Amino acid sequence: MMVTHMRSLSLVTMMLAALGGVASAAPPPPVCDTLPNPIYLEVGDTQTQLMKALGRKLRDNTPKPITLVFTTNPSCTNLDHFYNHNSRTTVNMQYVPSTTEDPNWIQTSPTLLCTPPNPDGVGTPGIFADIANSAVFTSACPLTAPNNVQLTTGPTQAYVMAVPKGSTQTAMTFEEAYFVFGFGMAGMISPWQDETQLFIRAATTSTALAWAAQIGVPAASWKGQRQTGSTGSALVVQQLEATTGPAIETAVGILGSEVADAERAKLSILAWRAKGQWAAYYPDSTSTSRDKKNVRDGHYTVWSPTIWIDHIDAATGTPTKPDARYIIQMIAGEDVTPAPNFDPNEVVARVGLTPLCAMHVKREFEGGPLTGFTPNTSCTCKFESVTDATSCDLCTTTCAGGKVCRAGYCEER
Amino acid sequence: MSGTSKLLVAVALAFTAACGDDGSSTQKDAAPPHDAAIDAPVTGPDANCITNPDPTQYLQIINACTTATKIYKDSHPPLTLPDGGLPALP
Repeated sequence: MMVTHMRSLSLVTMMLAALGGVASAAPPPPVCDTLPNPIYLEVGDTQTQLMKALGRKLRDNTPKPITLVFTTNPSCTNLDHFYNHNSRTTVNMQYVPSTTEDPNWIQTSPTLLCTPPNPDGVGTPGIFADIANSAVFTSACPLTAPNNVQLTTGPTQAYVMAVPKGSTQTAMTFEEAYFVFGFGMAGMISPWQDETQLFIRAATTSTALAWAAQIGVPAASWKGQRQTGSTGSALVVQQLEATTGPAIETAVGILGSEVADAERAKLSILAWRAKGQWAAYYPDSTSTSRDKKNVRDGHYTVWSPTIWIDHIDAATGTPTKPDARYIIQMIAGEDVTPAPNFDPNEVVARVGLTPLCAMHVKREFEGGPLTGFTPNTSCTCKFESVTDATSCDLCTTTCAGGKVCRAGYCEER
Repeated sequence: MSGTSKLLVAVALAFTAACGDDGSSTQKDAAPPHDAAIDAPVTGPDANCITNPDPTQYLQIINACTTATKIYKDSHPPLTLPDGGLPALP
C-alpha cells in the first residue's frame, strides 16, 4: 500500500515537473534588487555582448561592485520608456554571475534571470530603468528628450549585411541594397530576389534605422522577413544559420557587427560600397580581421554611435543615480572614480565596438556624411593591440616625435 | 597632334577634372575600375584612390587610399534609370 502511494506521488511529481509546475527542482529566480548594487538598464539587443562582458567585470570590480541588470528592446522603445516614464519592465531581467558565484561562466554562457522588484509594494512588480541605450542617433527616433535626462555618446557600433558561411557573395553596393530591400523580388538583384530570405529587423531597431539611413529606404518600408521581439538579432542569426540548399546563396540579413562578429564561424560579413564610393570595404581591414579599421577611418560607412542616457536633476544637472553615471562614463571611455580594476576600453574593444578614442571620423546624424575627427586622447594603438595587432611603438614612459606614452603604446596624442 | 600627344592631353584633362571639384591637391584615378578582381590582394595603396584626403570632404574620405582589402564589384541593377539615377520606391 505504502509503495503504491509513493509511486503515485512520484508520478504526480514527475507530471508537475514536466508541466513546469511547482515540483520542478530549479529554484525560482531571485528578485533583482537582492543582487549586489543592481543598476537597471534597457539596451538594444546589439549591446548584449557588452552587457555580458562588462557585467562580469563589474560584478568582480572590487573598488565598486555593481550588478548590471538588463533587458533588451528596440532602441526607440528604450527611449520612449525612458523619456516618458511610461512603462516598467515587468518581465524577468538578465544579469551575469560574479567569479565567486560561478568561476566557470564565460561570455558565451547564458545569462541568469531575476524577477523585477516591486518598489511600491502594490500591483504588478516592475522597475524603471536607471540607464537607457540607443544604438543609433536619438534623432533617428521620433521622440523629444525631456530636460531631466543626459545623453552621453559611447562607443561606435557598426552594422553589417551577413550571409550564410557557404554563400559565395562577398559584397553589396548601395544601389543593390536600394533595390533588394526597397523593391524586393521586383528589384531583380541577383541572387537576393527571394523576399523570404531577406531577414530584417523591426523598424524601431537601431539595426534597421542605421541601414535605412544608408540606403534611402525608410525602415518601415523594407521588403523581407522581420525578426521581431527582444531577441530579433538572435533570430536573424538563427535564420541565416538554418539555411540550406539554394537559400544559402539567396539569404542575407542585417545585424550589428558586434552580433555578427560573435558568429563568424557560421556567417560571413559582406563588404559594403556606399553611395559615391569606388570600392566595397569590410568593417575590418580584411574579411578575417577584427580591427574595425574601415569603421575608424571612414571606408566603412554603416555605423552609429551608441547613446547612453541617465536621469539628472533638471535644475542642477546632477545625476540622479551616481552609479548609473559611473557605468555610462566607463562605457564612454571616461575616467571614473573609483578607478575600476579592469580597462573598460578593452572590454568595449573585445566585444566588437570601437571606443570614441580610436575613431578618426565622425558624423552628426544617422547616415550623415563623415568628416575627420581627432579624439582628445587617442587610444588607437591600444585598440589595435587588443583587437588585432598594432604597429605602434611600445613605451614605458616617453615617446619620440611628440607622441604620448599611454597604456604601454606611443599614441598620437 | 600626334596620337601620343592626344593621349597625354586626355590623361591630363582627366586628372584636372578629377581634382577640380574642390580645388584640393589630392589625386585620384580618371574613373573607378569596374571589372577589377574580387578581393584584391592587400599589397599597399593603389592608384584608384584619393591621397591626402581633405578631412572635410566625405567623398574623399570614403575613397581615400588604404591598405585594407577592397572589392570592386561590377553591378548594373536592371531598374537603374538611363541617367544612372534610382527610381522612386514603389
